[in-house]
Amino acid sequence: MNTNIHISQEEFERIEAYLNNQLSKEDLAEFEHRLSNESHFAAKVEDVKITLAGIETQALKEQLNVFHNEISKTKVRTLNWKPLAIAAAFIIAAGSFWFLNGNSNDRLYAKYFTPDPGLPTAMSNTDNYAFYEAMVDYKQGNYDIALNKWKTIQTKKPNNDTLNYFMGVAHLANKNQDSAIPFLEKSSKNPEFILSQDAYYYLGLAYLKEGQIENAKMSLRKSDNENSRALLSKLQD
Amino acid sequence: MASVIFLEKYNFQQIKYVNNRTWFDNLLVSIIFRDTMLENHSTLTYKHSLIEAVKNNDPKTLRKLYVENYPKIEVLVLKNSGDKDQAKDIYQDAFLAVWQNIKQNKFVPKSKSSINGYIYTVAKNKWMDVLRSKGFKKTIVTSKLSYFEPAAEENNAINDDILKEQRLQDVMHAFKTLGEACKNLLSKFYFEKKSMNLIAKELGLDSASTRNKKYRCMQKLREIALNSNK
Repeated sequence: MNTNIHISQEEFERIEAYLNNQLSKEDLAEFEHRLSNESHFAAKVEDVKITLAGIETQALKEQLNVFHNEISKTKVRTLNWKPLAIAAAFIIAAGSFWFLNGNSNDRLYAKYFTPDPGLPTAMSNTDNYAFYEAMVDYKQGNYDIALNKWKTIQTKKPNNDTLNYFMGVAHLANKNQDSAIPFLEKSSKNPEFILSQDAYYYLGLAYLKEGQIENAKMSLRKSDNENSRALLSKLQD
Repeated sequence: MASVIFLEKYNFQQIKYVNNRTWFDNLLVSIIFRDTMLENHSTLTYKHSLIEAVKNNDPKTLRKLYVENYPKIEVLVLKNSGDKDQAKDIYQDAFLAVWQNIKQNKFVPKSKSSINGYIYTVAKNKWMDVLRSKGFKKTIVTSKLSYFEPAAEENNAINDDILKEQRLQDVMHAFKTLGEACKNLLSKFYFEKKSMNLIAKELGLDSASTRNKKYRCMQKLREIALNSNK
């Protein structure tokens, strides 16, 4: 389509009249004759036709944007946004107040709690076979199974620090912090227990999850590991 | 004793209520009757006038169609992984396509609700195309794509349509950037479809100079459109 064609005013108005069905019978016959015999002329007509359609379409498109702005305006008007916005601001303020206060313990807990990775299980020592078998379950995250196995040993050795410690952590990992607390208390009390620092740390976490902030702080103060100090400073903020 | 009194009271209210309702019903019936009379009268010319109004870009009709149909499209797009801007774009594309089809008699609406349904269907199909094209680009290997290209090039009819569409887009873009005075004038002629006499009167010019102005604006527009193509 060769679009680079000059059209005189007279010719343009004639084409326009044709497109608007405004030509007289004789003019129309002559026009249509040229249209079917001169491809050059036909291209011109087509070009004018597209140009007029382009103007109309673009003008409508711009009008649609005006309509669209009216939609957003009427929406605002019917919603009466001012009191709604004020109410929303209150709800957001109250909600965030509740959220920050009520859930900050949970969020801290979630940030700091990862279960103790457990002890390496060589399983060569037959004495502790049952303990290490349960340790495998613990490491796989089957805390219920591990706890059941450890429970039978624990009735025989109620004061075994390592056992109490892992049972406490398993309860905590199983989201039973209230069951975890007595086990962790017991294991942490022995200063010679090699994991007592960790026991205090998990005890602090258990109290935090329970919402007993003062107890949590007390336990964390007794622990010397890095996480305990970091968590303690968060709690004192 | 107490229950008897209660019953009497109840009956009394019941009667009062029935009386109220019949009075109210009569009012309703008369309103409905009047409205159906009006509607029957207007439906004779309604279909015809609606199509004519759309074809003549009657602002009231277009605005009503536009405003009434938008919310459904917005819900459709928002529910199908789009945002409000995309909803607006798709809706306007669909609206323009429907308007074009009505003008060219490709779509002859039987009623207003059939226009509404048509707008929704076109918008939905257009949005589906957008969603599909996203997936298309992700999954199809480009080397496979080029295999289909020569076949499309052979089809002259399609090519002609593409050229016309391109030319239309060029004109539309040129009109956007045209000076305000020319834009106004051409808009009055070709969108508002006002008569030459009326426009000449509005501009305070005689019809010969109005025609001349219109021609010069048209030339300017074609010039911009041609240059944008290069």
